[in-house]
Amino acid sequence: MIEPVSIEKLQRAYKPTKKPELMAEQNLWVRYNVEHPLTKDRPRKFLEAFAAILKHYPSYRLALEHYIRVSAKCSRCTVQCQIFQATGDTEDIPCKRSELLLNVYRRHFTPGGMIRGRIFGDAGLTDETIQKMSDTFWNCTACRRCSNECPMGIDHGLIAHLTRYILSEIDIAPRALVVSTREQLEGKTQNTSAIPLPALLDTLEFLEEEMESDKGRAIKFPLEVENCEFVFFPAVSDFLMEADTLMGNAAVFAATGDSWTIGKRYYDGINYGLFYSDRMWARIVKRVDAETRRLKGGKIVIGECGHASRAAKYGLPMFCGGENALPVINCMEYAWEMLEKGRLQLDANVITEGVTYHDPCNIARQGWIVDKPREILRSFCRNYIEMTPNRRDNICCGGGGGTVSIDEVRPYRTLVSGAAKAEQLRRTGAKYVVAPCANCKKQLREVVEDNGLDCEVVGLHDLIYKAIIFE
Amino acid sequence: MENLQGFFRGPLFRLSFALMILGLMRILFLTVFEAFRAYIKAGDKQLPWKDIILRTINWFLPFNRLFRRKPLYSVISFIFHIGLILTPLFLFAHIQLWRGSLGIGWPALPRSLADILTLTAIFSAAALLIGRTLDKTARVLSRKQDFIWPAVILIPFITGYLCSNTGLGAKTYQYVMLIHIFSAEVIFIMIPFTKIAHCILFPLSILVSNLGWKFPADAGERTAVSLKKEGLPV
Repeated sequence: MIEPVSIEKLQRAYKPTKKPELMAEQNLWVRYNVEHPLTKDRPRKFLEAFAAILKHYPSYRLALEHYIRVSAKCSRCTVQCQIFQATGDTEDIPCKRSELLLNVYRRHFTPGGMIRGRIFGDAGLTDETIQKMSDTFWNCTACRRCSNECPMGIDHGLIAHLTRYILSEIDIAPRALVVSTREQLEGKTQNTSAIPLPALLDTLEFLEEEMESDKGRAIKFPLEVENCEFVFFPAVSDFLMEADTLMGNAAVFAATGDSWTIGKRYYDGINYGLFYSDRMWARIVKRVDAETRRLKGGKIVIGECGHASRAAKYGLPMFCGGENALPVINCMEYAWEMLEKGRLQLDANVITEGVTYHDPCNIARQGWIVDKPREILRSFCRNYIEMTPNRRDNICCGGGGGTVSIDEVRPYRTLVSGAAKAEQLRRTGAKYVVAPCANCKKQLREVVEDNGLDCEVVGLHDLIYKAIIFE
Repeated sequence: MENLQGFFRGPLFRLSFALMILGLMRILFLTVFEAFRAYIKAGDKQLPWKDIILRTINWFLPFNRLFRRKPLYSVISFIFHIGLILTPLFLFAHIQLWRGSLGIGWPALPRSLADILTLTAIFSAAALLIGRTLDKTARVLSRKQDFIWPAVILIPFITGYLCSNTGLGAKTYQYVMLIHIFSAEVIFIMIPFTKIAHCILFPLSILVSNLGWKFPADAGERTAVSLKKEGLPV
């Protein structure tokens, strides 16, 4: 449990960043920017989209039917939700938020609800509810911590995921995510950061020179090599912002000698579809699949990025061939395996400062990658400090669910949704906060800056790069 | 009066009980059917079975997770469930009733233990109702049925306790017993249509939440076609 944040901070966090005229014109009072939201006839269009999705996604119908039957309104999720604890606003209770969509489902898609609606003259879904959903489901960081605490097993993250998908079909979605996805799927550069290929090549060349002068040996970023064991897809923003992480990735491959490559046609692991649209999730994952197959690669390695890893790990088998889909691993799993086999050696005398580990929700919540990075860190960091709660119960960085990419909501992210994390970081007293996720890194750096903390946010491979020993 | 009680104990009991069983079977069947359908259509059929089973079992074992958060509420609700489930099934007088209408019986709880369980059910149901009213978050979340349920459940328990433990006059006894039986029968009928459906669906919850994320491979394209957005720019 954390203390609610001060009223002064709340005012700063919720200060409107958009012009009221624009919001009135768009008929949408939300803090994130929206391109061209539907302004008229929204309830009908929302229900049409909802119906289409229910028709083609039986899993959503299964979940909603189950949830409306068992939801017991016990309020246990309140002790897990870092947003509700920070704001104290009952609208932020996960179960209350989910009820918005469950109500629409009950009223419009169950026989009982439709009959009751007729009898009591309930008009059903209104514009106000859509307005409320557009606002509140984007306050949620989709960390799914509440789903661990629900005795009825309700996954509020799934409901947030679905609601955002439906909303995106009536063109209500953060502009930041939509524009990036458009560039990735239809733009010239084919990646979310709009990095043109020549710029990428320059960057990689520069990094190779840097590594040569650091480590005294040639470490390459192999491009366009066919038949490699691994095809590497980092969050593309790493090429701009996380050079040390990438150099760590390259160094690990150089030390083990395994064949790996980065494709020239498509080199972005980011998948904002996971945050706002299943349609986009599938389309983006297919790009990763196609590029790996074009290069005749054996496995897909995702860089240090939680959502990219989850989107590929679960998306590849789902959208690209089930059991025959290409295997997906995260680069930390690879590093761990190499360390276990003795093919990766790390100097235990390099990192002497306090190091703590932040679990990215998208790889930790389901218990996928929790112990491996810890084992790597413990093997060479003398002063490893665990933060609590951790692993599957970790606290979200506060920028989950794509909100970190929405720059206009930064005060909300760092002062409200990131308040619990800020407090947790402060308590560890560690110098290095290892956050193996492009989104967590960006968010945590902003949290550190806006909350006046004294620590440095790094990737796991940043530290590996410092400590790696070449034979 | 005698006739009325005979009707309540006999045909109405069998009817309400049958409605409850049929209702519960219906939602169980629907859930399993929907789950099966989602699984068949899913692009990816791998499920973390071990994790699903462990997490499901974890919710039956209160010390693993349940008691760690909101401990007071959680302990009370757990005790409540014990009394709620055991007393109706294992009270001597009830087993006689089962024998009479279904022809099967089983060993009964000792009388003193049954009394204690009845009292814990009464006090914990009252505590849950009070807690729901006083706790701001629970109150805000609550629907009508969330307040009505603990109150309704109190009726058969209190009347049952009165009948077996206090020297009620013959006439009063009959009336109280009538309320006891009738309220239980109303509860039977309500169960499948309200949140108490979790009595049968609860073990499926974690599985459903895992399956919820397993979409068909082509669902996105088909949705785009339905919404006439095929080939439109992002």
